[in-house]
Amino acid sequence: MPRGYMGKILRVNLNTKSLKVEPTSEEVARKYLGGKGYAVYLLYKYLKEYEKAGISPKDMDALGSENVLIFATGPGTGVPGFPSSGRYHVMALKSPLTGSIGSANSGGEFGPFLKFSGFDAVVVEGASETPVYLAIVNGEAELRDAGSLWGKNVFDTCRILRNRVNGKNISVACIGPAGENLAYMAGIVNDEHRAAGRTGLGAVMGSKKLKAIVVSGEEKPPVAKPKEFAEVSKRCLDALKTNAVTGVGLPIYGTAILINIINTAGGLPYKNWQTGVNPDAEKISGETLAEKYLTSQRSCWGCPIGCGRVTSVKSGPFQILASEGPEYESVWALGGSTAIKDLDAVVKANHYCDELGLDSISMGSTIAAAMELNERGYIPQEDLQGLDLRFGNAAALVEAVWRTAYKVGFGKYLALGSKRLCEIYGHPELSMSVKGLEMPAYDPRAMKGMGLNYATSNRGGCHVTGYTVSPEILGIPEKIDPLKAEGKAVWVKIFQDFTCVVNSTVNCLFTTFALGMKDYAELLSAVTGWDLTEDEILKIGERIYNLERVIINKYGYDGKDDTLPKRLLEEPMPEGPAKGHITELEKMREEYYKLRGWINGVPTKEKLVELEIEL
Amino acid sequence: MSVVSVKILLFATLRSKYKTRELAVECDGTLLNMIENASKILGLEFIDDVYDRKEGKVRDDMIIMVNGRNIKDLKREITLKDNDVVAVFPPLAGG
Repeated sequence: MPRGYMGKILRVNLNTKSLKVEPTSEEVARKYLGGKGYAVYLLYKYLKEYEKAGISPKDMDALGSENVLIFATGPGTGVPGFPSSGRYHVMALKSPLTGSIGSANSGGEFGPFLKFSGFDAVVVEGASETPVYLAIVNGEAELRDAGSLWGKNVFDTCRILRNRVNGKNISVACIGPAGENLAYMAGIVNDEHRAAGRTGLGAVMGSKKLKAIVVSGEEKPPVAKPKEFAEVSKRCLDALKTNAVTGVGLPIYGTAILINIINTAGGLPYKNWQTGVNPDAEKISGETLAEKYLTSQRSCWGCPIGCGRVTSVKSGPFQILASEGPEYESVWALGGSTAIKDLDAVVKANHYCDELGLDSISMGSTIAAAMELNERGYIPQEDLQGLDLRFGNAAALVEAVWRTAYKVGFGKYLALGSKRLCEIYGHPELSMSVKGLEMPAYDPRAMKGMGLNYATSNRGGCHVTGYTVSPEILGIPEKIDPLKAEGKAVWVKIFQDFTCVVNSTVNCLFTTFALGMKDYAELLSAVTGWDLTEDEILKIGERIYNLERVIINKYGYDGKDDTLPKRLLEEPMPEGPAKGHITELEKMREEYYKLRGWINGVPTKEKLVELEIEL
Repeated sequence: MSVVSVKILLFATLRSKYKTRELAVECDGTLLNMIENASKILGLEFIDDVYDRKEGKVRDDMIIMVNGRNIKDLKREITLKDNDVVAVFPPLAGG
């Protein structure tokens, strides 16, 4: 096995309670790296087995025992000196929220500590009848009874399991009540406040009655070329520390610093995307968060950036002694799309999302959709049971979050996500989602590339699949005009492919504000011993993206689903610098498919052969 | 050349450094004159914070938006008008 890997994968079957250790395959790793890429490869193999057994991918139940959940690290994860490699990727065959592939990524310590416990990945099959947790300590894995943990929130679960394992480098990834209650936007939370939030993977864990995974260990991943690695590592760490974004902006202000600039560009969705200009953006901005709420920073393992916020609400009805975040997307979803200008309430709602195990983006966006449905008179008042869902109502926001986690009252509708919610009340067009996944905080009418990215993202409405905000608004690596649709397809494709490399390495996407493909190729080569070029790693990324697309094609997703909500295609932006603009998706998508070698959202046979994808 | 009055907004580290969120400035309509006149209020350092004297243009890493449009996207000589809002951001990112 090449260096960088631990060389072992743990396969857990919850039907039979059996544990099996398998070698990490060098052949697969060379083609798909690790993390997301390796997981996509394994998921495809499961799907083929299911098809052979006569199970149609379309009929697979995301919350059935047939779903498979994979926690995966990559060759960079946990390697001392590999910049910002404290992350892991989680994937599932199917997301309960979207019906597409399940995919999420998280920081903190869990990824590196999983490797230190001796494994590159954990594959979870089947479902337990009673609550269990998985303990992996120094290479030994065991399924244990979680009866006494069921019902507990994320913070208590992390604390209890950390105390139960008497070792070094302990980390807990778990679900809260939202996952146990199968809320479709439940996330997996590790280290109290770090979440693999998107696509409802917490509900998948809940359906398997798997409360948590606790890891601990001291085995470090080896490096193939220590001298070369030390040189490239130093160069990259220096670049991150001296770069104005990763060395100054993110450490001081965190990600919420984006609120003001995205609003100035007219692309900060407000009132469920009715406009892209929020008159109260300043009140929920990164500057305000730093001035009034920030108490300290928290870095993920091995990260010189330290964008994590430790915060408190000092007094008042939303008081919290210590919390973390909210991040930019969470501030926007819980505060911007809902038109809530009380940052106290947003910090509290975000805290509850972590404590109860909910994806703050889908939660906030679903509440915003409910607010619009309610204000337009589409929800019978008896359904709301006194929950006063009007734009700007801070108290209702906070109440709606816990009601969702416990599926109490109107919470049982919110827990379905915005797509189903809006369908139930007869107005599917008000769900601001793609493939059922709520879009994050960038209105593509004000930055066209993001529209194409949202539409073509395999997991649904997602910003971190291909973050063209970087060139369109921030000017990194170069400035392109956000209001022009021309030329965006090539950016989207390259960003999507390169992001697959980052998520398969696995490390933090924020490194790409300072590091490029050449840096990644050199880091990965020095760690693994392979001689990887920029072109090769980009081809690996493209291979991963295409195989992921092959999987979602089997679920019935194709070109008809590579689209955006009607509002973004037909309703011109009413104000701000993007006034009058819609998203010209069709022409961007046509160019994108050509670049991808896809027809109507489906990779051609020639493309798959070119990428050496064996079907 | 006529005098125009514009509003400058400062963000992130620029805001904390100059302890100012916004200021009104009169200028001849050029960005350079606006920056010079702003520096009379904020201090001379402001010029070097946003302007590259060697290149004779706004610093490449600064994000300057006039009425929400990045000056790099406007691809023309900037002529400010009365009541224009000029937002000045240091390099930043998130997501």
